[in-house]
Amino acid sequence: MDFSIQILNGLNYILVLILVAMGLVIIFGLMRVINMAHGEFFLLGAYTVVMTDHAGLGFWPGLFIAPVVVGIIGMIIEYLCIRHLYQRFLDTILATWGLSIAIKQLVIVIFGPAGLMIKPPLPQLVSFMGIEYPAYRLFIMAVALMTIGLTFYVFLRTDFGLGARAVIANRDMAAVLGINTRKMYRTTFTFGSALAGLAGAVMAPLMSCDPQMGLGFFIPAFLAILVGGTGTLAGVLVGGGAVGGADSLISFIYSPVISQIVVFSLVIIVIRIRPQGLLGSRGRG
Amino acid sequence: MLKVEALHASYGGSMVLHGVDLSINRGEIKALMGRNGMGKTTLMRAVMGLLPIRSGKIIFDGKSIHGLRTHEIAALGLGYVPQGREIFGDFTVWENLQLSMLKLPRAERKIPEVIFQYFPILASRKYQKAGSFSGGEQQMLAIARALATQPKMLLLDEPSEGIQPSIVDQISEILKKINADTGITILIVEQNVDMVMETAINCAFMEKGRIVETCSIEALQENESIIACHIAV
Repeated sequence: MDFSIQILNGLNYILVLILVAMGLVIIFGLMRVINMAHGEFFLLGAYTVVMTDHAGLGFWPGLFIAPVVVGIIGMIIEYLCIRHLYQRFLDTILATWGLSIAIKQLVIVIFGPAGLMIKPPLPQLVSFMGIEYPAYRLFIMAVALMTIGLTFYVFLRTDFGLGARAVIANRDMAAVLGINTRKMYRTTFTFGSALAGLAGAVMAPLMSCDPQMGLGFFIPAFLAILVGGTGTLAGVLVGGGAVGGADSLISFIYSPVISQIVVFSLVIIVIRIRPQGLLGSRGRG
Repeated sequence: MLKVEALHASYGGSMVLHGVDLSINRGEIKALMGRNGMGKTTLMRAVMGLLPIRSGKIIFDGKSIHGLRTHEIAALGLGYVPQGREIFGDFTVWENLQLSMLKLPRAERKIPEVIFQYFPILASRKYQKAGSFSGGEQQMLAIARALATQPKMLLLDEPSEGIQPSIVDQISEILKKINADTGITILIVEQNVDMVMETAINCAFMEKGRIVETCSIEALQENESIIACHIAV
């Protein structure tokens, strides 16, 4: 009985991890930008909810405006910073890393370094199949599943998705066929940021919101992408499942510390054997 | 239609084009020949805005396209079939063709029926993945994809490369037919002498980043030593 709750918690973690990793991998796939500030977009999403909660509006409006707010912040960052650094791979890592530090410090200046809590939006427990499980965690899973489904739909079934996949496969040819790659970059960066913002918002009630919270999702999301591969969105599902699943399981059986060691070792083994990731193909640079 | 003047461009740090002058008239089929490494592909990529230009002019359809972004150049009516075809192998034929029309409003986004008349094989394999095709079929798809952008001019980079001779003949015929039917101007980079003789009206020769000679195909047929001088090893 205890174990089935752990499985649900693990699934919960995996789904949110996939949400964060998906934004990261979409941005990387299209723009060849490793967004080191992606964890801080998660952070900003969580703090948007903290702000609406503390302003007396409660959690729910925050959940809806967080992806919008973070998406707009992403768009502004793309316009002011990232746009000028395309094709300069290392510079984008440095720039977004700097951005990550700046956002964290800004949050400390405004909210202080301490962890902030918000009122649990759905405190009740739901009982099913002989267990009692927090309703809010089920809600998180539903939101994550829907958003993941929607993202897949956008990328696999819409015109925008077709264009985006073409840019991922062969940027030059996509441009030759008339696709405005820069515009696509901006849309993608906005969308990827919004995904991280939503993930942060939805996780805020379960976590203590502090300026370091983004890192706790950025690193595993990064590992998930290394394991899954960057060529396809499906790689994120596999990578997120593998990293999140292994982490949850080993944390439960042994301890979070051992889990970190094991997960990192597994990731190293996977990328040693398959540098392109489990589902990745050796794509172009 | 296309006029290139004193074009200088570099590729990977070294200068490849040293003042290219080339002009193609509206409706003309011109071939550009030359040995490997003489700058033919670089010229094509520079025209499409895929490589930065150091100096010189590129005028297309009366407009300077120097400094425009690639998708803007494509929108003005330049269709490009790159060396090695570069079709989207994971996409279906239909998706490959659809990509060329994403810039159009949804209502106007219908693959022109005439494309399937030129390449009937594509109609029957619409929903197959392009990566499963033979070289010749991929080349046809690459040309069809460029046509679907509704260009005024086609740039083709070595369309016969790695393709069996019977298909090369077929592609020659189709290019001539497209040119005759629609008046689309064609610039074709080629090393296959037979294909050039079969398809083009005029021919330019490139050596070390410059155009060194331009002549008509008749002149080439009368005096094959011109070819020997510029491209034979």
